[in-house]
Order: sequence, then C-alpha cells, then structure tokens
Amino acid sequence: MASCAILLALSSCASLQRSSDQGAVKDVAELINAGQVQKLAAMSETPFLVDQEIVSLKADVESFWNGVVKAGFRVQGAALEEAVPADAASYAQFANTFEVKSFFSSYVQKGSRVLRMSTSGGKHILLLVKSDWFSKKLIGFKGPF
Amino acid sequence: MRKATLLAVILLAAAAGAFAVPADVTYADGDATLKLKSGKTQDVQVGDKMNTGDTLRTGKDGLAELDQGGVTIKINSGTVFTLMEREAGGKTQTVLSMALGSIKYKYGKISGSEPQVRTNGAAAGVRGTEFTVFAGADGSTLFAVDSGQVDVESEGKTVQLTAAQGVEVPLGQPPGEVVPLHSDQIDYSKWNDDKLSAMLSDPLAAVQNIQTTLSGYVKDANDYFTLLQQYREKLADEQKKLADIRAQKGSQEGSKYADEVVNPILTQTINLGLNVRFSALAALSLRRFVGGRLYVMMKEKYIVQQDDPAYQQFLSQYAGMLSSFEGSIVPFLVQADI
Repeated sequence: MASCAILLALSSCASLQRSSDQGAVKDVAELINAGQVQKLAAMSETPFLVDQEIVSLKADVESFWNGVVKAGFRVQGAALEEAVPADAASYAQFANTFEVKSFFSSYVQKGSRVLRMSTSGGKHILLLVKSDWFSKKLIGFKGPF
Repeated sequence: MRKATLLAVILLAAAAGAFAVPADVTYADGDATLKLKSGKTQDVQVGDKMNTGDTLRTGKDGLAELDQGGVTIKINSGTVFTLMEREAGGKTQTVLSMALGSIKYKYGKISGSEPQVRTNGAAAGVRGTEFTVFAGADGSTLFAVDSGQVDVESEGKTVQLTAAQGVEVPLGQPPGEVVPLHSDQIDYSKWNDDKLSAMLSDPLAAVQNIQTTLSGYVKDANDYFTLLQQYREKLADEQKKLADIRAQKGSQEGSKYADEVVNPILTQTINLGLNVRFSALAALSLRRFVGGRLYVMMKEKYIVQQDDPAYQQFLSQYAGMLSSFEGSIVPFLVQADI
C-alpha cells in the first residue's frame, strides 16, 4: 500500500515536471512567434548562453531577441522532445569548451532543466531553463540546428 | 599544469599583498553591477571597493563614478570596466581596462606613476589631467583629450595627444591621424553604430582582426609564462639555499640573503605571473566583448538563412578563432574568470 502511494506520488511529480517543461517550450515558442521581444528579454537572465557564447550584458540579450524576431525567425510546431535536469555534464550539449563548462558550474543552479524542442521543419532548439514555483527564467538558447 | 603554476603564483601574490590600489565607488545610479574576481556578482553601491580583477558593468541606464588613488573615473552607460594590473619596468602598474563603452578620466595630480588606460586594442600612457576613451563594438578605440597630454600606443606605434586633440585606433592597427577633437563633440552611440555596421559588412575581416590581436596576447602570455617557469625554479633553488644559510649561519645572515637575493626573485616571479594573467584576461575580454558579440549579431542576421555561404564561411573562420583561443589562452584562465 505504502509503495503504491510512493509510486503514485512519484508519477504525479514526473507528470507535473513534464507539464512544466512543455509549458516552458510553449511559452518561449509563442513569445518568439508573437514577436514579444520585451517579454523574452524579461524572462532571460544574464549571463545568458547563446550557443557557445556567454552574453554578459542585459542590453545584448534584449538585442539578441530583437534581432532574432526582426530577422523573421518563427518556431512552427514546437514540441518538447526531451527534458533533463541540467547537471555538470550538460555543458557539452551547448559546446564542449572551458567557457561553457565554467558557465554551467558557476551560473546554472540546481533544478535547472535542459529542454530539447523539435520544430515542424525538422530542426531542434535547446533551451536552458531555471524555474521555481512562481516563475521560469531562460538562461540559455541554442539552435536551430 | 599551467593553471596550477598560475594558481601558485596568484597565492604568492596574495600572500605578498602585491595587489593594486582599489577603486572606491563614489557614485552609482541605475543598472550597475560588479563582478568580483571570485566570480560573484553584486549590485554596485556607493562605498563599495573595486579590487584588482573585479569588473564593473553598466546597463543602458547605468552610471558609476570611482576614485582610484586620486584618479576620477566616470563610467558611462553600456560600459564594461575592469581593474587590472601588470608589471612594467620592474614595477607593478595598475591598468584601467575597458572592453566596451565610454569612460571619462580625470587625474587630480600627475605623479609619474599613473595607471595605464587600456581597451581591447590600444593602450594610453597618461601625462594629462582629463580625457575620454570610447571603446567600440568592433574593438576600435577613440581617445579625446580635454586637457593635459596622453600618449596612445598600438601595434608598436605611439602618438601624442594634447588638449582638444583625438585619435582613433582600429583593432589590430596602429593609431590613425591625430585630429582636432573634444570629447563633448562625440556622439558615442552614433560612432559605435557606424563601427558596428562596418564590422557586420565585412565579418571575415573583423574575425581576422580579432585573431591578429589575440595572437599578440597569446605570444605575450607564452613568453611571460616561459620566463615565469624559469623564475619559479630559480626561486625554489634560492629558498633551499636560504634554509641552509639560516640553519648554518643563523637568522641574521638568512635575513640578509632573503633581502638581497630571494625577495627580488620572488617579486619578479609574482610580476611575471601578473603579466601572464593580464595577457590572458585581455584576450578573454577581446574574445567575449568583440568576438562573442559579433557571433551573436551574425547569428541574429542569418538565423533564418543558416545555409547562406557567407554565414557558413564566417562560422568556419570563427570556429578557427575559438579553437585557437581554447588551445592557447584557456590554459591561463580559471573558472572564476568566466
């Protein structure tokens, strides 16, 4: 009986986590598609990782989102493909460099997630997300690749 | 191996108290953050002390003013400023380094041992009292002197500026022509936008310029590191001799030997370590604030046409620059630098 309750609780937690991950992917895709630069900038923290580059200035993160939207980038058919906790080895998914490894060690807190998003064009995007009960913060973006 | 050697020298420097005069924050407004040498980041407050290795960043609405041993440093918005130090002529010299943005410097009095003012691509020796430095997105620097005299050096060429004169230094090139200029005449935003447009119109040349300047830092770091290793061996030998002298001839003879032989080698070892770190951190600043920003801007521009040959060519050249950085500068960096 007790083991059933534990299994039920675990499965419930996993389902909540999955729902939260799917929500993050959906939110980011919708904001990009709607050209909501200010909201994307507001949900992004600095330092912010773009592929293998560490963006230190808030103005540059805002400028990045502005440039991406202005270039006509849209995420069609966004779906969560994979979601894993960000750990010490996750840096290699972004880039296998000392800088990105240090970024993960110094700035990626416990509880952060690496979300792999697929799009209808067959491309993939990685999001590095920090979330708590009240908010989701984006701390990295890679792709489309 | 290199990181371990440098770490040992950093500890030696800390033990010897061989760090530059800190800068006191006398004014702060808007978005201004301080990234400490330890890697921690905090909001800037009046009364904060900025020590060697710390970096102050101002956002779009941020301003800060510092006092560093009598030098007033007025940091404008959108600026990245780091307090560094290096050895020059046998002495430790403070370096006021900016990666981006604009800063006005005002010297209360000239003592002959003024800090050096640097950007990613140029250095200035100061014999003046008031001048402004503008660091552009492409690594270019613009100096404008309001009063006094400033010597601007890049790529082995030095030009002298006096009041109401200015000079532009493109990244990886010597200073250009000295022109009549006052800092109030310069619209930094427009000047920087022009630099940015030029850089994006020829990104391959921009990466080449970054690579050329990086190569200079790599050479300096390697040269200093070779000397550092020699001095560390010499220091270890002399410290053994010192222990023998103390054991055989007493503490008075030991102290004499320490003052005359060991301590000068220790000082030189620390100075060489400072110079290795200085070269590596200058390279990191260039790679991050010129190279990295160029990469992100190119990504934005080509995000919906990633197969464009021009973009692919850029990526290939950029990857070469990154690989060179990873192999030659990263061995001199530690996690907190990032």
